[in-house]
Amino acid sequence: MGEVIVITSGKGGVGKTTTTANIGTGFALLGKKVVLVDADIGLRNLDVVMGLENRIVYDLVDVTDGNCRLKQALIRDKRYETLYLLPAAQTRDKNAVNPDQMKQLCQELAQDFDYVIIDCPAGIEQGFRNAIAGADRAIIVTTPEVSAVRDADRIIGLLESEGKHNPKLIVNRIRPLMVKKGDMMDIDDIIEILAVDLLGIIPEDEYIVISTNRGEPAVASPVSLASTAYKNIVGRLMGENIPLMTLETNDGFFERLKRVFRF
Amino acid sequence: MRDGVVFKGSKDGLQLVIDMATDFDVIINQLKSKLEAAGEFFANGNAVVQVPSAKDMLPEQQQKLVALFDEYGLVWQDVKECDFDSLADDVNQNSEEESNTLIISKTLRNGQEVVHSNSVVIIGDVNPGAKVIAGGDVTINGTCRGVAHAGAFGDETATITASRLLASQIRIAGLISRSPDKLDIPEYAETARIRDGVVVIEPAR
Repeated sequence: MGEVIVITSGKGGVGKTTTTANIGTGFALLGKKVVLVDADIGLRNLDVVMGLENRIVYDLVDVTDGNCRLKQALIRDKRYETLYLLPAAQTRDKNAVNPDQMKQLCQELAQDFDYVIIDCPAGIEQGFRNAIAGADRAIIVTTPEVSAVRDADRIIGLLESEGKHNPKLIVNRIRPLMVKKGDMMDIDDIIEILAVDLLGIIPEDEYIVISTNRGEPAVASPVSLASTAYKNIVGRLMGENIPLMTLETNDGFFERLKRVFRF
Repeated sequence: MRDGVVFKGSKDGLQLVIDMATDFDVIINQLKSKLEAAGEFFANGNAVVQVPSAKDMLPEQQQKLVALFDEYGLVWQDVKECDFDSLADDVNQNSEEESNTLIISKTLRNGQEVVHSNSVVIIGDVNPGAKVIAGGDVTINGTCRGVAHAGAFGDETATITASRLLASQIRIAGLISRSPDKLDIPEYAETARIRDGVVVIEPAR
């Protein structure tokens, strides 16, 4: 049996879909059999971020409604053999599915895959309840903003009341220079409020925008900082002990020169 | 795992909410252990019992319950319909309403609320967006960043104490005071109380 992981946040726009795409691709890079499930019915994005939009024939609602078999709706990734996507329906809404159906779907997928990763929609309504229904564990994505942290806290509370304890936290879009100047919440502030285990931090990285628009998850790129961060997260999810990235502040030429001579 | 039986205090007496989806033997066992734990509390027939959500209850099941209640001095009153889920959710947070002080040993997160007719002790933090409403005092063994209301039924001698009192709002009886827009982080436990008609915050003793 594989593991079902839901990626959630409460607030929108903090990077759930990007994180889902990158963690999933990260597992596939290591040869794991992975399926990404887009639970954001009516506002699907994961297919676009994965660059698989034009391959969609059947979707999640077709499966739960019995219009097709599960295997027919799964789209194999164009780059990685072991990576699959179950796209959301675009013409329906969150009420087209219920938590019991999702639970059953996740169980079915977990039999064939090592990891089932669910991209949860923003909000705390039906879509959220559907997405978390079948999950064994949860990953909360937040950004270093007070509003995102508030929502993350709410989500952790709701997960607890559904019996899903000890979620892991990813802090996305950290800007080291701003943190250093005291203009951005730092990791310790966030952890103090949320009191959950930190799974990883992702620095703000322009390459994410590029890769999202291209439909190629950044984790496959050897050069980007965010890619390394996502690889580390995948490693930690597989039980490896990888220390947190030290975010070097990318300051001026002289600073860098000084560092070169000091070490 | 949630309980199949929830105790709730109401003005008609003790109210028992039973989830008929749970196995009946499990319910009986849970009931037994709860009544056992309560000791003499329910004895002398001063508590009456309602069993909502019981439309599926069989006559012999009811007999079993009545027998069990007799053993602990409870008087069977009525079977009433109700939706277990909504009641249980509402009650689970304050299932210890019968005892004087409600002790909660977890962090209250955004959107969570505790309401209790007596004092409340929280071992954990009260995060922004969370609410504690107590008829008596509120004591928080952690950081309070949410809203705390002590003496909610008008007791002006009620106090709010926290290891780190950073509450966004403090309410005591009918008074409301909000945190200053720029908040210093206190290095010691503080208590809020009403003095001369205003809420004052001072080091806890």
